[in-house]
Amino acid sequence: MALLKVKFDQKKRVKLAQGLWLMNWLSVLAGIIIFSLGLFLKIELRKRSDVMNNSESHFVPNSLIGMGVLSCVFNSLAGKICYDALDPTKYARWKPWLKPYLAVCVLFNIALLLVTLCCFLMRGSLESTLAHGLKNGMKYYRDTDTPGRCFMKKTIDMLQIEFKCCGNNGFRDWFEIQWISNRYLDFSSKEVKDRIKSNVDGRYLVDGVPFSCCNPSSPRPCIQYQLTNNSAHYSYDHQTEELNLWVSGCRAALLSYYSSLMNSTGAVALLVWLFEVTITIGLRYLHTALEGVSNPEDPECESEGWLLEKSMSETWKAFLESLKKLGKSNQVEAEGADAGQAPEAG
Amino acid sequence: MAPVLPLVLPLQPRIRLAQGLWLLSWLLALAGGLALLCSGHLLAQLWQLGTFLAPSCPFAALPQVALAAGAVALGTGLVGAGASRASLDAAQYPPWRKVLGPLLVVGAAGGGGLLVLALALALALPGSLDTGLEEGLGTALAHYKDTEVPGHCHAKRLLDELQLRHHCCGRHGYKDWFGIQWVSSRYLDPNDQDVLDRLQSNVEGLYLIDGVPFSCCNPHSPRPCLQSRLSEPHAHPLFDPRQPNLNLWAHGCHGVLLGHLQGLAGTLGGALAVTFLLQILALVGLRYLQTALEGLGGVIDGEGETQGYLFPSGLKDMLKTAWRQGGVAHRPAPEEAPPEEAPPKEGLPEA
Repeated sequence: MALLKVKFDQKKRVKLAQGLWLMNWLSVLAGIIIFSLGLFLKIELRKRSDVMNNSESHFVPNSLIGMGVLSCVFNSLAGKICYDALDPTKYARWKPWLKPYLAVCVLFNIALLLVTLCCFLMRGSLESTLAHGLKNGMKYYRDTDTPGRCFMKKTIDMLQIEFKCCGNNGFRDWFEIQWISNRYLDFSSKEVKDRIKSNVDGRYLVDGVPFSCCNPSSPRPCIQYQLTNNSAHYSYDHQTEELNLWVSGCRAALLSYYSSLMNSTGAVALLVWLFEVTITIGLRYLHTALEGVSNPEDPECESEGWLLEKSMSETWKAFLESLKKLGKSNQVEAEGADAGQAPEAG
Repeated sequence: MAPVLPLVLPLQPRIRLAQGLWLLSWLLALAGGLALLCSGHLLAQLWQLGTFLAPSCPFAALPQVALAAGAVALGTGLVGAGASRASLDAAQYPPWRKVLGPLLVVGAAGGGGLLVLALALALALPGSLDTGLEEGLGTALAHYKDTEVPGHCHAKRLLDELQLRHHCCGRHGYKDWFGIQWVSSRYLDPNDQDVLDRLQSNVEGLYLIDGVPFSCCNPHSPRPCLQSRLSEPHAHPLFDPRQPNLNLWAHGCHGVLLGHLQGLAGTLGGALAVTFLLQILALVGLRYLQTALEGLGGVIDGEGETQGYLFPSGLKDMLKTAWRQGGVAHRPAPEEAPPEEAPPKEGLPEA
């Protein structure tokens, strides 16, 4: 009892082959799209690797790139097979390769589905990487004289301007670290000495933020220093002031940016996966329909196409049987070798 | 009645001409599409920078005319490709015979005219950008503080975003900010002595300070941004005037925007020039193909040699014929005798 049998006459077979040929070439295009999406994602991750401590995982974009290339290769091969399927002499060349090729296609589809799922799950690992990376980035903000870290100030400033964010979770993160380099502090001033003595580590902590946290939509010129001191500025209340600085933290802003990027990539990859599954099913039907042509001299005859020769449970049992036979044949060979050695010994 | 610039076209050269024209028409369509994209990009940039360009500046006309010219060139290219493809197939050519004549007229007059106009504008208009930007930026700077005046409340945000995006400060440099009041009066403390001193120090009663907004700050500077008391070099500790000043953006927004827009206009002019050249070549080739096929009576595969030409007669003769034809339309009866005599005369030598 075959699974999902469909009757095919000559016209239907030809139509199936032509349709599959077109779908395969469209799928090559889809493979190129997946490749370019993977490349774009990789470039975006590389651009911001400074704030991710250079420790972000490139697994998802690398596998998307690989899947795109494999898809192009497999689908152009399948297109060639479908083109040759209409000519019996050419098709005879491909006949012995078709069954293993279909098995490879099924494995490829499973791999593509796994990669698509990974796209949606990458968010979690990215969140922790970003939290650590941004914390370190802010710590090194003042080290503009230290080789290897002198670019961190520029990176963080441009990040805050571009993504409209301030600090890790909010602007108060800047109050807890020293972001002004010691080189530009006047140690003879009383104010500086007081601040350095006021905490255990001897850091110069201010209730101020860098200029890149400023929000251009604010109606008043940006207030950067003495943010918690209402009397230092005219008509200012730090509890109710909302437009002065960017409100969101850079971790949340970057996370939402990368999440939306990966969600759209995952959606496109899912559509491509559905397309590939359709092509594999169509190819299987074409394969079995052409196998079922009982009389090779009469191309006009009807044939049947199916997905599986027997029902699902029977096919699974047959597969297990073949595995057992493989194991048994190894055992028999081993026993034969032992029996051969025993008489020699004995 | 000698044809202008005749060219003998036997069968093989005719086929070559048609194939070459097909390629040329696709190149023309590509060039027209490119010009379309360039002018669209320029329009988008002008829409963004609209507040910094004086309303009287005519620069916006350039991308609009270039858009129309690019669209016509694209259409001409596509139709030309179809016509040259059809001229190789006897079954497809007859419907194209009627279309080709009007197409050539529209392409030459309309498309050519628009392209020439767009090229002229591309050469003339960038000069007007200088004064337009000067005026526009001056107005924007003056209204920076008017965040609560309806009509100008966006000036601060737009100018800050401009300085952040294009890496510039002020009109010609950061000192422009010293000459205007950029702090809104609403946030000035009327009881502060320093504020009162500053207001009384100038004729117009403006609060002028030697400071700049935050958007002038340069992130490449190794020290946190110094925005205030910029004319007192010793107000800030460890300020070394001999070191290159990375603190603020060095360029003025006028120069940066001028270079940016003039560069875009130059690219657009280049694309229009290439489109113009391709259009002339394509139209001339199509005219030769059309007249050669008309000589065969519309039969594509005719083995005979025919002549292709640009115009059937010289300019004077053409005008005379057009005048006479106009006259014939008004007085049909007496004028019919001379043209009727002419064909029998031509028929006799052939017989």
